[in-house]
Amino acid sequence: MDQISLLLEGFSNALTPMNLLWVVLGAILGTAVGVLPGMGSAMAVALLLPITFSLEPTAAFIMFAGVYFGGLFGDSTAGILLNTPGHSSAIASTFEGHRMAKNGHAAKALATCALGAFIGGLIATTLMVFFAPALVKLATVFGPAEYFALAVFAFLAISAVVSESVIRGLAALGIGLALALVGIDGPSGTARFTLGMPELFDGISVVVITVGLLALGEVFHIASRIHRDPVATRITPAGKARITWVDFRKALPAWLRGTAFGAPFGLIPAGGAEVPTFLAYGTEKQLAKRRRDPEFGTTGSIRGLAAPEAAANATAGTAMGALLALGLPTSATAAIMLAAFQQYGMQPGPLLFERSGDMVWALLASLFIGLVILVAINLPFASVWAKLLSIPRHYLYAGITVFSMLGVYAISSSLVDLWLLLAIGLVGFMMRRYNVPLAPVLIAVILGPMAETELRRALAVSQGDLRILVDSPITITLYAVLAAGLIISAIQHLRHRHDHDKAPAKEDVPA
Amino acid sequence: MSITPADTATAQTTAAPPRAKGFWTGRSEFAFVAFLYALAVFFTIGTATMHVLGKALPGPRLFPVIVCVLLYATATMLAIHIIRHRHLPDTEPHPGHGDFSADLLSDLAHITDEHTATRGPGMSNRSRTYSDWKTVGMIAGAAVAFISLLKVVGWILCAAFLFWVVAHALGSKRPVFDLGLALLLSSVIQLAFTAGLGLPLPSGFLEGLL
Repeated sequence: MDQISLLLEGFSNALTPMNLLWVVLGAILGTAVGVLPGMGSAMAVALLLPITFSLEPTAAFIMFAGVYFGGLFGDSTAGILLNTPGHSSAIASTFEGHRMAKNGHAAKALATCALGAFIGGLIATTLMVFFAPALVKLATVFGPAEYFALAVFAFLAISAVVSESVIRGLAALGIGLALALVGIDGPSGTARFTLGMPELFDGISVVVITVGLLALGEVFHIASRIHRDPVATRITPAGKARITWVDFRKALPAWLRGTAFGAPFGLIPAGGAEVPTFLAYGTEKQLAKRRRDPEFGTTGSIRGLAAPEAAANATAGTAMGALLALGLPTSATAAIMLAAFQQYGMQPGPLLFERSGDMVWALLASLFIGLVILVAINLPFASVWAKLLSIPRHYLYAGITVFSMLGVYAISSSLVDLWLLLAIGLVGFMMRRYNVPLAPVLIAVILGPMAETELRRALAVSQGDLRILVDSPITITLYAVLAAGLIISAIQHLRHRHDHDKAPAKEDVPA
Repeated sequence: MSITPADTATAQTTAAPPRAKGFWTGRSEFAFVAFLYALAVFFTIGTATMHVLGKALPGPRLFPVIVCVLLYATATMLAIHIIRHRHLPDTEPHPGHGDFSADLLSDLAHITDEHTATRGPGMSNRSRTYSDWKTVGMIAGAAVAFISLLKVVGWILCAAFLFWVVAHALGSKRPVFDLGLALLLSSVIQLAFTAGLGLPLPSGFLEGLL
């Protein structure tokens, strides 16, 4: 077993005092970000990105991994206690979790979350250690046409299959691809859309785009609603998050079922953990119905909370695998981490395992360390973390505004970047206002250049013959699966439009 | 913002959508269409006037052409959609601001009537616009001032000003305390960046004092 010796070597690299410090720091930051409503791990990684440029890559990625998992650990806290999930991947856990909290089981609910996140993350990360080399082997047979197909798959899956409105999703994709075009074109050296400004020759920095869309855009969105929307009431959990053996036995099958839903979805670019968490919740609901479980839907079922929690973290675990081995970001957060790799001049994929094997295995080992630290700081201190919810929102968003400006200024001390940040922030606000999805923009910005290069490379080889794009079993399979997804989603949209048309009060539903 | 259980959503009774008045009511999304067209036109002009280097085919124009077609097509389809469907402030759930289809997620989770009630936007009929432009404007104005003055006035005062205005705009009631907090935060950042990470932030006219 090659992987085990490599992993052990990774542990020996990761267990240095400095690296442990970064894991702990990442875990604490991640949990804090997860607990705070309105902040996702994507925003946290984006805000941290410029600040970590002064660190060495291994330390930076170990910290990002802590933030990524930590974000999911804390994510459900706001949902359970306030009934306002901070992130859409926590919605499914909110249903039963808030019911449990309202019936005096807040501590038990928080413990179920922390353990679920631990189990889901642990199993998925273990799977990844054993499957990553297989994925790497798969990726070595990929040529330009295959990579282009993979990018198209990611683009359309995120913008058209899972998003609320196909038109708005594709529009967002267009915006992202357009932003990625600015700058000097690598293969030919042509300056494109730079208006002759030397500041734009390197393109618009990914940091500017992500911080603008995710952080500043959110600040403007909150500003537009804070004086109009009602405030949620908070449930204060008492003491430690704890769980009895009986409850543990009850939740264990649900954690495992949730993991089984989550793990495969980390490899599919379907936007992250939302789809598997809802699938896991739906399964528990059907099972509860069959079992005639009286708790489900009334006082809150521990299983209905355990399954989506495990699913969310299992998705994150395998998403890291897809990112490292294939260079394929399956969610917005993964896309930003890919951007971080690129900033360090590394391209995830088969070559990364070959060239920076030490770092990859240290990163994988630190994921395990991170999970252990996370469960250790989340179980005993759940109620301390919940106190973060009492930070007034005006200070939170004022801080986010200042940190966005700081982060962008820190990359190149350029005022042009700050003006771009403000403009993109306002675009992000407009997109939130009309529920135009943001994930397609991020995926397009990060995979757009790759898609363009591979398309041109493929067409150059075939001398302009488009058939090369659908010439291999891998590309045909990818396009066929994509087509199936699009058809199913089209049927879904049409069926619901039909339903909405029947109910006259709901005729203003966006398509 | 999200699909939430019915029991708390009833706490905030959602106001009935305001009556449609003119053609423009409920069609403000044309602003987004205009943005898409503007972007498309900018990229079309850029592609047409591009000074192409090298002779390799396909060249640097191929992908921009695809992107422009995508932008024109989606902008036009969205415009047609808005003309056909007025979009009044709605009570529909939008997971992740539209990143995910609520219908799709509901189907996956077998969510039936007990979860369909949603946290409404809590739109009051007294406000003329859906968005609170005064608050947004204050923050955007503070950001413009911050960027224009950063090099002259320096990080500490600019960042403190930005923090203070945003906190005030979002409803903070303690102006003096906020001022102290803002100055503390901006000074700590300046110190950490200059001393700790070695990245200089502009110190402005306080240069000699620091």
